[in-house]
Amino acid sequence: MDLDDFLFLLRGVPATLSISFLSFLIGFVIGFIIAIIKEQNIFGLKYVAEGYEKFLRGVPVLVIMLLFHFGFGGFIPIFKDPFTSATLALGLRSGAFQSQIFLGAINSVGRQQMMAALSVGLNRWQAFRHVILPQALIVALPGLGSEMALLIKDSSYSFILGVLDLTKHADILRRATRSFLFPYLAAAILYILITFPIANYLDKLGSKLKNKYGLR
Amino acid sequence: MGEVVLEGRGIKKWYGKLQVLKGIDIKIEKGKTKVIIGPSGSGKSTLLRILGLLEPPTEGNVLFKGRDVYAEKLDLNKIRAKIGFVFQEPSLFRHLTALDNVKLGLRHVLKLSEDEARRKALETLRIVHLEGWKDHYPAQLSGGQQQRVGIARALAMDPEIILFDEPTASLDIELTWEVIDTMRELAERGITMLVVTHEISFAKEVADEIIFMDDGMILEEGPPEKVLMNPKSERARVFLRRLLGV
Amino acid sequence: MEFLLQYSRFIIEGFITALTMTIIGVSGGAVLGITTALLDVYGGRVSKVLVGIYVEFFRGSPLIVQLLIFYFSIPAVTGLNWDAYTAGAVTLILNSGAYQKGYFKGAIEAVFKDQLMAAASIGLTFRQTLRYIVLPQALKIVIPAWTNELVSLGLSTSALIIIGVRELTSIAKTIAAQTFRPLEVYFTIAIIYFIWITIMLKIMDIVYRRVRIPGLEVSI
Repeated sequence: MDLDDFLFLLRGVPATLSISFLSFLIGFVIGFIIAIIKEQNIFGLKYVAEGYEKFLRGVPVLVIMLLFHFGFGGFIPIFKDPFTSATLALGLRSGAFQSQIFLGAINSVGRQQMMAALSVGLNRWQAFRHVILPQALIVALPGLGSEMALLIKDSSYSFILGVLDLTKHADILRRATRSFLFPYLAAAILYILITFPIANYLDKLGSKLKNKYGLR
Repeated sequence: MGEVVLEGRGIKKWYGKLQVLKGIDIKIEKGKTKVIIGPSGSGKSTLLRILGLLEPPTEGNVLFKGRDVYAEKLDLNKIRAKIGFVFQEPSLFRHLTALDNVKLGLRHVLKLSEDEARRKALETLRIVHLEGWKDHYPAQLSGGQQQRVGIARALAMDPEIILFDEPTASLDIELTWEVIDTMRELAERGITMLVVTHEISFAKEVADEIIFMDDGMILEEGPPEKVLMNPKSERARVFLRRLLGV
Repeated sequence: MEFLLQYSRFIIEGFITALTMTIIGVSGGAVLGITTALLDVYGGRVSKVLVGIYVEFFRGSPLIVQLLIFYFSIPAVTGLNWDAYTAGAVTLILNSGAYQKGYFKGAIEAVFKDQLMAAASIGLTFRQTLRYIVLPQALKIVIPAWTNELVSLGLSTSALIIIGVRELTSIAKTIAAQTFRPLEVYFTIAIIYFIWITIMLKIMDIVYRRVRIPGLEVSI
């Protein structure tokens, strides 16, 4: 494997990164909404939220991708695009994971803080918005870091739909060069080099802020 | 003078640059109860762990029944089995019931049969008045009860001596008494004991001899009335005045 | 969806393959995880570094890429000739072992140090302490994390499609292509996975209740 091959491999990185970041954002929004629904027990929506979480945590993300791309793709045009199908599938599942991260973080901040906020005259929503949430987001940082890392790794499933991501580039390279080890090994190392700093940074940032504010 | 069970000679201990023991000589005779008092940080617990062979001294010798443990390279586990140890924090094995905590060493160190081990463990739990709690897990026992199971665990091995490292320090006042009473009963049974404690009443009534330690050295040594009532050193006087509130 | 009934035999076979691969991966991974955790906690510098590299590689890279390496690269480099099932099983074991090392390490470290000194004080040897004190507690502490691993690896078996193992997802892909009804096929398969995972969670919950010991609920 020479430099050209390596540069070719790098051309898969943008797709891998954009799928992961976009699905992370989708998951962030969905996860946040679900966490609030469950925390505030809005109407009967709690059970809908729970069903959503349970289902998406109990089915392989690859099957969701295939369902979106080949199943929905037949009559909903946007799903014809493998990139969109893969991103949405990962994003929806990430929502189910991120809601757990947020909920855990909210619970860890605790009732004492809520009562203290109510005691100075804030209403429940204000207390949540200004007291609980800022602390919860800090507590959630390390969890979000590992979720981001998970998404980067799982974005490799999109290769099965034909997305030109890092894994797909490695596969093309293997076929073209008939070099069986280096394309895959180089891809694996690239994934590690991408995931490690992100997860590590959010973990460090989380502990730093936790110490700063004395959170547990 | 009776047979010496456990002896430390010229024991020194450094943790990095910090010297916590500065040459300790100590002997415990068979059937006697010796109590060590002194301010915290004076090296009492370290001395006890060294005598219990739970950590080695940096310098000096530990002799068990006249044999130099480290110089003769004796099997530490074999001798530890003969030196009981009760810790400051109740250190029961959390996945085992009270009975199984006492039984473990009997089965796997002394290699008793299941029946024998069970009988012996029950008998020992009876001595600490906990036979009714044999099937409880540590988390289901009070701190005082946990300490008494810890005492039973040490006692069941038929040790030559039991070392107590501030066994009541982590307990509330009302739980302290049940542990102190158990220890008093052991002393009356003639068990050889070396006890680090702040319970002066125990020291006064039960100890054959009291040692006052400060700053890694033994400053006073003698019968209770002498050390408690008539200490030679100023530091012992200050310590006792504060402790006794007089 | 009656048309799927005629494929039920393949679906069942695919499910059994997925289940078998999960059990192999998780149990092999448990042995590997305990071993590497013990090496990491009690071993020397060299073993710590080696364990670190192993864990970082298998946790940091995608399972898909690992499967490609073990199915295509390893035979090409070593001349070793193994089929997709063997390559898949080995990869799942190594992958799961890397995650389980973390769970077991946490569980071993959750066995408080005071108990280790207490074990020494009654004369237990290091081996006896591991066998009678550390491992029995660690194995109970680890159950909730282990349940997650069972679920996560179960779902990951769908990645085996890439090396041609005939598991559930790969069966679904074939049926979808043959019947031209991907929506129904993938939806049904999703439901099958979901039921499987739900049952597994239920079983592990019962196991956990059975072996639970008061005071040993440590989160790792």
